[in-house]
Amino acid sequence: MTSADPIFEVKDVTLRFGGVTSLNNVSLNQERGEILSVIGPNGAGKTSLFNCLTGVYLPQEGSITFHPTQTKAIKIVGRAPHRVAQAGVARTFQTSRMFNALTTFENVKIGVEAHQKTGPIGAMLKLPRTRHEEKFSDQRSHELLEYVNLTHRTNTLASSLPYGDRRRLEIARALGTDPKVLLLDEPAAGTNPSEKLALAELISRINTELGISILLIEHDMKLVMSLAQRLIVLNFGGVIAEGTPQEIQENPLVIEAYLGASDEATQ
Amino acid sequence: MSTESTVPKRRYWALNGEDARRMCTAIVGGLVLAIMTGPEGAISDPTYGVKTSLLTGHVVGYFIFGVVLGCLLTYRAKVKDGTWRRVRTARRRTMSERVTAFSSIWRYAFLAVTTFLVALISLIFADFSGPVTRNKMSVHVLEHQFLYTRTYGYLVLAVALWFVVVNQVMQLSSFKLRSLPRPVLGLSAIIAILLFSLTSDPFLPARFSWRALDPHASNSLFHHWTTYLWLILGLAVTISWLFRRDPIDGAKPARRSRALAVTPEMRIITYVAAGFIVFEAPKYLSLYWQISLYQQIGVFCLLAIGLNIVVGFAGLLDLGYVAFYALGAYVTAYFSGALPLHPPFQLNPFFIIPFAIIIAMLSGVLLGLPTLRLRGDYLAIVTLGFGEIVYVLANDWTQVTYGSAGTGAITNFNVHLLGINYVWNPVNPLSYYYLMIGILIPAIFLFDFLNHSKVGRTWAAIREDEVAAQSLGINALKYKVMAFAMGASTAGVAGVFTAVKVGHLFPNTFVLQLSITILVLVIFGGMGSIVGVLFGAIVLQWLPSYLNFHSYFGYQQADLYLYIGALLVVMMIFRPQGLVPSRRRRREILDAEEGLGSADALGAITQEQPS
Ligand SMILES: Nc1ncnc2c1ncn2[C@@H]1O[C@H](COP(=O)(O)OP(=O)(O)OP(=O)(O)O)[C@@H](O)[C@H]1O
Ligand SMILES: [Mg+2]
Repeated sequence: MTSADPIFEVKDVTLRFGGVTSLNNVSLNQERGEILSVIGPNGAGKTSLFNCLTGVYLPQEGSITFHPTQTKAIKIVGRAPHRVAQAGVARTFQTSRMFNALTTFENVKIGVEAHQKTGPIGAMLKLPRTRHEEKFSDQRSHELLEYVNLTHRTNTLASSLPYGDRRRLEIARALGTDPKVLLLDEPAAGTNPSEKLALAELISRINTELGISILLIEHDMKLVMSLAQRLIVLNFGGVIAEGTPQEIQENPLVIEAYLGASDEATQ
Repeated sequence: MSTESTVPKRRYWALNGEDARRMCTAIVGGLVLAIMTGPEGAISDPTYGVKTSLLTGHVVGYFIFGVVLGCLLTYRAKVKDGTWRRVRTARRRTMSERVTAFSSIWRYAFLAVTTFLVALISLIFADFSGPVTRNKMSVHVLEHQFLYTRTYGYLVLAVALWFVVVNQVMQLSSFKLRSLPRPVLGLSAIIAILLFSLTSDPFLPARFSWRALDPHASNSLFHHWTTYLWLILGLAVTISWLFRRDPIDGAKPARRSRALAVTPEMRIITYVAAGFIVFEAPKYLSLYWQISLYQQIGVFCLLAIGLNIVVGFAGLLDLGYVAFYALGAYVTAYFSGALPLHPPFQLNPFFIIPFAIIIAMLSGVLLGLPTLRLRGDYLAIVTLGFGEIVYVLANDWTQVTYGSAGTGAITNFNVHLLGINYVWNPVNPLSYYYLMIGILIPAIFLFDFLNHSKVGRTWAAIREDEVAAQSLGINALKYKVMAFAMGASTAGVAGVFTAVKVGHLFPNTFVLQLSITILVLVIFGGMGSIVGVLFGAIVLQWLPSYLNFHSYFGYQQADLYLYIGALLVVMMIFRPQGLVPSRRRRREILDAEEGLGSADALGAITQEQPS
């Protein structure tokens, strides 16, 4: 597939942990504005791929290029995770990682503030810029909570949120950083069917209204097929198939991978 | 954690063998403490000490201590295994919820008992310089206590305070302080304030100070203008209380948040009391206390709020904090020309402060950059090592520091400006004290702003989940180094203040034990809470001075760390979050205790995952 305007270019990435090869020669491209989904059986290396894309893991081989704009190119490999995030890559985690002792609002606000300039001196003296930024981040956080439909939970502690709300809070917090691309790691895990529906709607809104590209890991096939424009299937760390939802559903390799995986699981 | 499966149980009060054993252990422990702190045996009668400890009033206090400890432990054990709860609830109930769950009879009983205990405790401490400096618990002294006016002052104050606390925190809704007739309230407030000012009469021993109320007496209270100031403030508080608008009915906030709500009058009372204590009370203290107010309490408050940034806000364990304190002190010595190395220019101590800040901060950054990448335990060890290095350098590098012989004389604080010539006088500790207050109060406010700003929130985020914080673009290392440097610079300032007051520095001031002491102040008071940390510093630094002064309970200075250690153990069992914890920290500890809660959520994922 030729990519005119890619946002992520992953070339021949190999990631090993001792004897385990989590990613084996993985190459993929994501178009700007696209919802690309990564699927695969448990342990296929999906989360590892996310960790490479966000700078958390350092792959032994290969290169990852991120294009925040058409003209800019950033090498991800070797870049610290926070600098990758600053460049415009936001993510959520497979097991949600909230700041539990803080409120929903504070969680989102931290995301917004992460990119502001206020330093300790400004914060201590409440300098004009600090106050200005604080006003902005308050307003923006409220907007984001409204966007993900969590306004009624503004002052709830993150630890006492129900599971579905946590997922959406994590998305709101990631959106606070004003990302170019959003990486979602199994956002629908542990949510009930109606929450799933709302989540699918939220994801496609983020994509169309905010113009944010989305890379999605999800096990729920119905959700993936309805949302994603393109799919990439991983198995044992390698890409085994790539294509539209239609093509993937008919791909014999994919069917086998999933059947094989469930065979293993039942053993 | 399944909540529905357990059938509602009836309260089950029966005690079993284990409870009896626990109780006996606690009581025996109390008795052992009584013997340990009692008089020593003599050669003619080795059992003298034990006999006297167990047969005189001395034992009463420790017996009560043992019983109370036993009860508390039993209560905890029973509540923990669910025997003493009607219905198992998923969430642990808060203290206020437990109390409000009592029937009204029990509620009154609770109020009565706790009030009695508070009064008793206040009685024991009311007489700061009583005639009998032995055990305060003996009935004999309690009796005499009632002859002293200050006893009544403290009683009224204690009971009133307790009522406020009970009302605010426990919400004994059927027994509101405000439901008392308002004139009674106003009157009692005025009486309390009058009695309280009596106790601060500087010239008379308080026990005879009824005389101080006589306007004609030469040393009458009414000759002090400050008395009027405090009376006016007291009246203002009372009036604002009497005419406060009641909240609109039906707009009551939820129970939980009401417990945390600070009403305006509570805030005023707090400010007034704090203002009095900070600015007025020191004037009435004896020289001993004025000195310890500066050197033991003031300096340590500064150190504690500085370390609180590192430990409380950023969650980093720093065991070598005293190194920065030492650095500040030796920088002062250097610029005073008190070291073998001569400075290019000598400086007034006021101008040394910025140098101390910058040097301590730089050393904090230099130490922090490589070490803050390490995880908690390693960081503790590296900082511990750094503390020791600085100590050893101060002690052994005689060409630079004069070593254990101590430095030369350090210049005193002085002002020569616009015709004002003032040199701080070591004989008058209060002059230093007010200077310290001048630094401490702004520092408290600045650090509080910091904690409630982006920076404070970011620290909280890093403490909670560093990986998630980094995924938002937060440079965790930068923020940790920042905390480290700010803590260090605060210690540097404290170093200047100590150096100037002490006049000569000796390396053995800056030992490891001091780092640990400061850490204890922070943990005891409540990590992350500035008020808590100040409280911890004041209480824990005051107590040794107090005990030292009176040598109560057979206290000896060498035993200090034994007691502090015991106190910490008890704290960690019953109140791991510290005396006055910060909201965030308390929640974090609750979350950790309820670890099961999030495990539950994880279980839900695995169930829903197709496999
Ligand atoms: N930090 C690590 N150390 C060692 N091995 C790891 C590490 N991270 C991942 N792996 C290994 O890499 C492989 C891929 O794991 P990964 O978490 O990426 O799978 P996944 O596709 O996300 O699976 P799931 O659907 O269960 O989330 C697994 O075999 C795992 O054990
Ligand atoms: Mg995964």
